[in-house]
Amino acid sequence: MVNEQEIEIVAKLMKIEIDDHKEYIDKVHAMIDYFDILDNAGVQDEEISMKDIPLSNLREDKHIPYEDKLIERLNNYKGTYVRAPKMI
Amino acid sequence: MQEVQNGNISAEDYVSKTIEQINNVDENLHAFLQINSEAIDNARQIDKKIKSGKNVGACFGMPISIKDNICIKDSKTTCASNMLENFIAPYDATVISKLKQQDAIFVGKTNLDEFAMGLTTEFSAFGPSRNPWNLDYVPGGSSGGSAVSVSAFECLASLGSDTGGSVRNPASFCGVVGFKPTYGLISRFGLISYANSIEQIGPIARTVKDTAFILNMIAGLDPNDNTTIDNSNQDYLLGIDSGIEGKKIGIIKEMIGEGIDSAVMSATKNAISKFQGLGAVCEEVSLDMVKYSVAAYYTITATEAGSNLARYDNLRYGYDFPVEGYEFNSYISKARRKFGPEVTRRMILGGFVPSSGHAGKYFLKALKVKQKLTQEIDQLFKKYDFLIAPTVPVLPFKIGEKIDDPVALFLVDINTVTANLTGKPAISVPFEISNGLPIGIQIFANSNDDKSLLQAARALESTVKLPEVPI
Amino acid sequence: MTKIGLEIHCQLTNLESKLFCPCKANYREYEPNTNICPICIGLPGSLPRLNQKAIEKASMIAMALNCSTPEKIAFFRKNYFYPDLPKNFQITQLNIYGDTSIGGLGYTMVGEKKIRITRVQLEEDPGRLIYEGSSSKNQTTLVDYNRAGTPLVEIVTEPDFENPKQVREFLNILSDLLQNLGVSDPSLEGAMRADANVSIEGGNKVEIKNIGSFHDLEKAIHFEITRQESLYSRNIPIVQETRHWDDRRKITISARSKEEELDYRYFLEGDIPWIRIDKDTQERLQKEMPESISSKKDRYVSKYGIPAQVADVLSSDKFYSDLFEQSHNEKNAKEIANIITTDLMGLVDTREKREQSKFTSKHLEELADAIQSGKITRNSAKNALYEIVKTGKDLTQIIAELDLGNVSDESEIEKIINEVISQEPQAVEQAKKNPQTINYLVGKVMQKTKGKADPKLTLDLLKNKIK
Repeated sequence: MVNEQEIEIVAKLMKIEIDDHKEYIDKVHAMIDYFDILDNAGVQDEEISMKDIPLSNLREDKHIPYEDKLIERLNNYKGTYVRAPKMI
Repeated sequence: MQEVQNGNISAEDYVSKTIEQINNVDENLHAFLQINSEAIDNARQIDKKIKSGKNVGACFGMPISIKDNICIKDSKTTCASNMLENFIAPYDATVISKLKQQDAIFVGKTNLDEFAMGLTTEFSAFGPSRNPWNLDYVPGGSSGGSAVSVSAFECLASLGSDTGGSVRNPASFCGVVGFKPTYGLISRFGLISYANSIEQIGPIARTVKDTAFILNMIAGLDPNDNTTIDNSNQDYLLGIDSGIEGKKIGIIKEMIGEGIDSAVMSATKNAISKFQGLGAVCEEVSLDMVKYSVAAYYTITATEAGSNLARYDNLRYGYDFPVEGYEFNSYISKARRKFGPEVTRRMILGGFVPSSGHAGKYFLKALKVKQKLTQEIDQLFKKYDFLIAPTVPVLPFKIGEKIDDPVALFLVDINTVTANLTGKPAISVPFEISNGLPIGIQIFANSNDDKSLLQAARALESTVKLPEVPI
Repeated sequence: MTKIGLEIHCQLTNLESKLFCPCKANYREYEPNTNICPICIGLPGSLPRLNQKAIEKASMIAMALNCSTPEKIAFFRKNYFYPDLPKNFQITQLNIYGDTSIGGLGYTMVGEKKIRITRVQLEEDPGRLIYEGSSSKNQTTLVDYNRAGTPLVEIVTEPDFENPKQVREFLNILSDLLQNLGVSDPSLEGAMRADANVSIEGGNKVEIKNIGSFHDLEKAIHFEITRQESLYSRNIPIVQETRHWDDRRKITISARSKEEELDYRYFLEGDIPWIRIDKDTQERLQKEMPESISSKKDRYVSKYGIPAQVADVLSSDKFYSDLFEQSHNEKNAKEIANIITTDLMGLVDTREKREQSKFTSKHLEELADAIQSGKITRNSAKNALYEIVKTGKDLTQIIAELDLGNVSDESEIEKIINEVISQEPQAVEQAKKNPQTINYLVGKVMQKTKGKADPKLTLDLLKNKIK
């Protein structure tokens, strides 16, 4: 079970604002409760690994300037800076 | 394409007819979010090239629709979200460049569940798409618009994306072919990420051969995507009619268990007979981890989505919302209110399940389930050439029917997420119509066996003659 | 008992391109937001493309710090929201599924003290923020993404430092090491940054962040030690926390506890497969590594008999050791070492001076030759050096232009000696009584000849005259 306070903390972490708390929380609850099924899978001893590729497959260290004037395609810019809200 | 190449019809003619069809039917179907106003012009250019004897790409002006989470340069790419309502992609996805080089024509961008999160296209911020077999029914998702556009003759083929069944599911619901390749076969550069460790772009077409043709155009190693693999320039059309004589096929029993629709079960049994008639040996097999695959899938994808969608803070691109007067945290939270309800729910899930406070309980366990599932399926592929199951355990359902029950909706995915979690290729072949609604049969193959998989799909397809879609 | 640990971030400024895209690694010459591409500003649909050389260089750093280097490395995402972070996550390295960072446990010596390295990891630098507007009401934040994606190597040490002086020595050693490996120019602004953690008497560890320079680092550590000692002496418990260095007031202040609450939701970066650096590759990298500073120093001392202190200076600065390596031979090694570490040093002690200097190893060879063969005196050599650094002209040309050639003509020197003797009668008397003081007269002759008189000849002639 997951309580409302925990969900509030997570919403803040993810920069998500919720108006209708009850509806969201009920649905999120239902989803998370469903995930509890993972406890029965018996996989505690598994070690994590992933596919690997050799070092030689990687990109060569070369400077290639990007031709497009990207900054002009973005929002919120001033001069050539990107504008962000003030930080406290 | 041969017709166009031979000069029997012109690309312009064909594309014009296609646009005409779109204009006729799309108001009801809503497969498209945008239609390319230059499509006919582009076709004209290709006709010129053909006439002048210049080299023309293998697509010869083939009209293709593209799911709106794949970037086309200078085109709006919205992911069916209000967050990206004005985002104009400054570059082409690799699959787009490849198709452009081969003289394909993009007729438009198709509808999807917002950011590809969903199974029915009902979560699009711009309204759902409708199933051409019955307008009151969902077309499946998240690549709903793509499947509809192919099924309704609004294009010859489409590119969708498949994270947990998002190409195969709508293909099954709309009676067309949907293919998810081995992970890494098709470059994801330019595909707007939802769950990058398991998703792939996949072609949707009316026939298996068309699907293989598109695959030939877009598969292969891409330096822009470090996760792509070398397919040694395979020709997926070559030998596609080889058949499946003597092949061993496993029927995944966890995917035909309780909860399966009787019509779907009966179709599956018919498919098994067909496979046997083609000379294959079929027997039931068990993939134990399937029970946990949906929980694992949604845990992993919520985590990855939570991270992949973090960049949408409206500072660099997005919609018009000036930063003046706001403080950083409140601006971002306010800006992200433009996410639809399903995406919002997944963001919260995605913050919750990998959090250090619950270390080991959710995310880590999900990863371990993913790994064990992969080991189990690898074991099966030592004995069997293919595995099969119905693509979706239920028939297409009405729009609005399952939208309020998230867990019921999750379980529609139970037969498809395995292929994504394990990286194996899988295809949905349209097999039967039951009460006017399509049922698709899914075939899985081992990693890098995409060519054989297409052969098996072609073999099954050859035993089937479906009625025309009623539009 | 004071314990200090460090977390140092070093930019790989000598690479051509960023860690995940082909934009320029050294962003300093660019107008804001002109060194960017879809990948480093995290445009939707963009994917990282890992830089092979960055892995190789980071591996060399790890080896130079005696770290273990695993055969497979992995990348992770560290998720948090900040305007300088285009994707709102940073791609970095961690060891949560086994040892997957580029460097594991290692060490380096600071004098006699062994400083243990906890790990070395590769990660991307965020962009830069500028704050505009004075009052908090109209303040905006401006972001420049030119730096976003620059390759960073993070080096974490165990809390083995006992005092700020050791910290400073370590940073100098690390600086020289990085320069010697040819991976980074630490003198570039912002190329090396460090955070510290401090604890005393086995108490809680306090992290100090937001330190602008190494100078500030020492100050910050000093302040923090004092602060903790003061609390300790009054039996007030030291809170485990993160504090920020306030450069204006020169104190550390408690950072808002928001830092502690941050949950980074670390997980594997799905867009980058694990990278295999097998034994063969590691051996190749080891061979390709430039010779270490200590090895050079030992070689200079044992092979050429160069004094230890001189060898120290020569080996720890790549600029000097490169000059030395290119110009020396068995015969002139000592002379060259001498020239570099005495007269040349003052002329090329900053990056700007080195960039403008026209002095080459060829010049150095010729100079050493000229001195050893007696063509010019050491004094003249000093003047020649100045000219060469400024103009890069040939030594022979400069000798001619400035008339630096040795005066070894006896009669000429005799003439000058006679002049000096007549002008300095007292000194002559002194010299007759006390032979040591003849050097004063030699000096006078040197003065008159602008240092060109052959000193040995001058001395002999003087001695004869005075007898």
